[in-house]
Amino acid sequence: MLAYTLRRIAQLVPVLLVLSVAVFAFVEALPGSIVDTLVGTEGGDIEEARAILTKEYGLDRPVHERYVLWLGRALQGDLGKSLVTRRPISTELLSRIPATVYLASVGIVLSMLIAVPLGTFAAVRRNSAVDYTAQVTSLAGISIPEFWFAILCVLLFSLYLGWLPSSGYVSPLEDFWGSLQFLILPAAAIGFRQAAFTTRLTRSSMLDELSKEYVDTARSLGHSERKVIFKYTLRNAMIPTITISGLQLANLLGGTVVLESIFAWPGIGRAIFEAILQRDYPLIQAGVLVLGVIVVVMNLLVDLTYRLLNPRVKLA
Amino acid sequence: MSELQADKLVDGTLARHAPPAPLRSRRLFTALSNAWHELRKSRTASIGAVMLVLLFGACIGTPWLATHDPIKQNYRERLQPPSAKHLLGTDRLGRDIYSRLLYGGRRLVTIAVVAVALSLLVGVPFGVLTGYFGGLADTIGMRIVDGLLAFPGLLLYLLFVTVAQAWKLEGAMVDVVLVSALALAGMPEKARLARGSVLAEKQKEYVEASRAVGDSSVRIALSQILPNIISPLIVTSTVRLGFVILIVAALSFLGLGTPPPTPDWGSDLSAARDYMETHPLIAAFPGLAICYTVLAFNLFGDGLRDILDPRIAER
Amino acid sequence: MSDEATKKGNERTRRSFLTATTALAGTALVGEHAFADARKRNPKRGGTLRFGTRDDSIALDTHRNIIYFVSHPLTGITGGLVDFDDKMQPKPAVAESWDSSSDLMTWTFKLRRGAEYHNGQTIDAESVKWNIERIKDPKTSHAFTRSVLSDVERVTVDDKHTIRFHLKEAHAALDINLIYYPVNLMAPGAVDTVDTHPVNCGPFKFKSWRRLDVCELVRFENFWETDSEGNSLPYLDGLIGRPKKEDRVRLTALRTGELDLIDNVAYADAPAFKKDHGKTFETYPVPQVGTAMMFFNLKNGLLSEKDNPDAHLLRQAIAHAIDHEGIHQAVFNGIGEISKGFYSSASPWHSKDIEGWPKFDPDKAKSLRKKAKGGDEKFTIIANDTFPYMQQSGELVHAMLKDAGFNAVLEILPSPVMLEKQNKGDYNIDSTANSYRLDPDGWYGRNILSSAPENRRRIGYKNEKADQIILAARKERDPVKRRLMYADVETLVNRDLPMLYTHFVPLMMAGNRARVKNYAVSYSGPWSYSGAGMRRTWIEG
Repeated sequence: MLAYTLRRIAQLVPVLLVLSVAVFAFVEALPGSIVDTLVGTEGGDIEEARAILTKEYGLDRPVHERYVLWLGRALQGDLGKSLVTRRPISTELLSRIPATVYLASVGIVLSMLIAVPLGTFAAVRRNSAVDYTAQVTSLAGISIPEFWFAILCVLLFSLYLGWLPSSGYVSPLEDFWGSLQFLILPAAAIGFRQAAFTTRLTRSSMLDELSKEYVDTARSLGHSERKVIFKYTLRNAMIPTITISGLQLANLLGGTVVLESIFAWPGIGRAIFEAILQRDYPLIQAGVLVLGVIVVVMNLLVDLTYRLLNPRVKLA
Repeated sequence: MSELQADKLVDGTLARHAPPAPLRSRRLFTALSNAWHELRKSRTASIGAVMLVLLFGACIGTPWLATHDPIKQNYRERLQPPSAKHLLGTDRLGRDIYSRLLYGGRRLVTIAVVAVALSLLVGVPFGVLTGYFGGLADTIGMRIVDGLLAFPGLLLYLLFVTVAQAWKLEGAMVDVVLVSALALAGMPEKARLARGSVLAEKQKEYVEASRAVGDSSVRIALSQILPNIISPLIVTSTVRLGFVILIVAALSFLGLGTPPPTPDWGSDLSAARDYMETHPLIAAFPGLAICYTVLAFNLFGDGLRDILDPRIAER
Repeated sequence: MSDEATKKGNERTRRSFLTATTALAGTALVGEHAFADARKRNPKRGGTLRFGTRDDSIALDTHRNIIYFVSHPLTGITGGLVDFDDKMQPKPAVAESWDSSSDLMTWTFKLRRGAEYHNGQTIDAESVKWNIERIKDPKTSHAFTRSVLSDVERVTVDDKHTIRFHLKEAHAALDINLIYYPVNLMAPGAVDTVDTHPVNCGPFKFKSWRRLDVCELVRFENFWETDSEGNSLPYLDGLIGRPKKEDRVRLTALRTGELDLIDNVAYADAPAFKKDHGKTFETYPVPQVGTAMMFFNLKNGLLSEKDNPDAHLLRQAIAHAIDHEGIHQAVFNGIGEISKGFYSSASPWHSKDIEGWPKFDPDKAKSLRKKAKGGDEKFTIIANDTFPYMQQSGELVHAMLKDAGFNAVLEILPSPVMLEKQNKGDYNIDSTANSYRLDPDGWYGRNILSSAPENRRRIGYKNEKADQIILAARKERDPVKRRLMYADVETLVNRDLPMLYTHFVPLMMAGNRARVKNYAVSYSGPWSYSGAGMRRTWIEG
């Protein structure tokens, strides 16, 4: 196990390198340059301005040279400056990543709080009204386009019912209870879809576990139904559920662009998206790399957790 | 959010529920009629199948079913409610919504099917071979997959599509790039699924038996193992089909969707945002179309999973 | 008088003399800060206004980045030599008065005493010179900002409160070009924090900013402007900008009371909003934020005389194929006006006597197209994806042209790509728009004058008569004469068709009646202008 872990950690490095090269290549392939945007279109000194800016941003060097320079600095912790805001990238990232992490984690936790009991109940009481309701709503949850659902939520809960603010963000560090108010709708938008997915997952895992031999054995041994469910089957069914939810969380981190746009949530997803549109190369590279690190590390943790919890599977 | 990691289920659970040996060897016709009987066992699968048949029927029959040219504008007839002339009304530029839904659906379903098929064609052999041979090939292969998965959320698509959008690519080429991005992003799931199944199957008797008889490794891999992983692959593929459609809708919202005036459910839904309160039907129809399609794929996939898993019998 | 009394009297006189001179000396030493203490606030008017905008500034350096004074909350910190009134006419700001030499080559500005930057530094001629030079330096300014000073050769300081502009070419309207946007003034001493904490001289001070989240400004207590009763402006204690891109969400936030004022009610909502919610919400229509038009690529390609002898015929055919009423209805939802020229009817630069473009006539369009060489060839329409109305106009025009049998292709592109295509001439029609120009030369002199870089880059139009008129108009002091000269240019434009004007771009702001008091918006959208707009607004409740 330890050897496997160490090997996997060592393998993170080439993965991240490949990721950074891939991003660099993409960014190169993006036509249109930020220099054009900054230089603008008017004034007779365009060429001079362009030369100055190109030199300042180091864009006059060949791409492999730029990559190596960037990599060298990044490894020392210097991610450079945003070409647009001219502030250090670390500032830009640090001001945006926490908001996304906050939203994504609360969304996942919320979803699990709903999905696990619901999925368990649906599995245990198969074909009951609860089961059907759970199935129908979770099917609906994974079938609706996210942005449409989010806007409908805003219209319903904010405009017509007036229960919640429509959009905006307050840091939980500044005002915890206040921040919750703004968190509810976007987290619910994430949570609804996640809950739908996790409900189905929990339900099918539970069904799977409930049909195994050891359950009948436990029952015949006289254990109460409740003990059978909670002590044995649920715990086992949770393994895939938790591991997959961990992966979902990692994946959510870059995928919240849509919700961040709608709810005016100052997250990293939108920041990277805008950076792509503006051709703010350092921010794109740093952003994707940082998120990539988080995702890859979480993938690894999930893999390890899964193998720890489920000794039946042979390590490859 | 994604179901990219659904393959995790494979390592312990689904792979063990391969259909019994006799099913594999029946001939195609009996296999199909058996399939139909099996299908009828699950209500969800039946409903899903019916929905899909209607969907594909509409896609194929679009040229005959459509009443108008989907891109013809007529600003004098904009924002009209459903009528005899325009079955589902007109949008903000006076285009017939019904015809746009048909043509949009056709294109979207084609993109989804091609993308998923591609990810299967690339991912499955990749996963089977790395799983079977193990060692260095496996390590490198899985790290490539990890690298792909490390692109969080929508970023892979954003980068692909931004590049495609920005080059001088005509309509069809943009679709090709979109399909490639979707296929590439969906590939890891299939690869890991295939690999996981292979790992589980590798220990079974029939593999040992074949080896003893002297079959070459690759033949063993493809001929013996492949049929056993078809069921989980089918299930996740149908789910992925639905998901691809949602991804395309999300890209349209971000402005990276189909360039106008090509009909596209996601773009139409996105464009109808402004009219959600004044003319809600314009947004409702493409939204419902998306929901219907994704639901159909998911129901069918669900039902298939129930059928193909003999341990979970429906009462 | 007794000697005693005389002595005392002299003493008093001397004391008062000393007091007076000390006071004068003190004033000279302390400078204009003495005036600051005299500023009084209206005790009843204040409050913090929450302003929802569609957009947000991309960075904090107001020279390096274009700050849209219609939709960027950060505008509140900007101030400059010249202000403008609600009809977009120049008014004194930091510059109290100005004059030009008779040959219009030298302009002298006298600065107001007592004007300060947000950090308390005095706005003196040296600091203004520093600002002008920073704006003229391509390393530190945006090209657009720089271009308004392209005629300025150098700036000299006469004394502490007098600054002189020496022009390369005579210009009748230099003052209009020095309005606080884009020629805004920032404190030289704070240039180190220009990207993190800008220090300017506008009615509001910078407090904090998180892009696409919030922009917090607070009242600048020592702002030079006062109302008619001598109370200092602005009244508001603070301004909080909340960018919310999604139209639906921004409007919802206004309606639920989370915002007091929003900058942009979507065209789809505007007509119904006034009717349905007019009692609770006040609407502030902006007649002309800008003008939308189609640029034709005359540099090369199908629509250029250089590559196609029938190019003008084709352009006329295209013009005949475009139904402006359709754009008016489908893109702008019936709001605003169709445009025949750059300035709309309520603008002081509008002229009724412009000869319009070819009227909508699909049959004529088809016949001209068939007659002209290249009428069946493929051509490209490009449109910027940032602005919905540019995109939608492009879509609509594309459909109209296809109806007339043109082989047109539409490409919706992001800004960096648009720039590239324009530079290379890789398009035929550009569905675009331009913001309102306070100085007409800002439009005609940039896009119609053949020697202008922007014209050369994007259109490639040359008409010698138009050139003559524009160059003469630049030096024409009489606004009436000037207006008529530009009207003549418009007529030429509508005949030659280097571009086709389509529609004026309107805007509608909306605010909560109960809370937002005394707000008004200027003709082309800016909300901070001479003694008015946000400066005169206060919040109740």
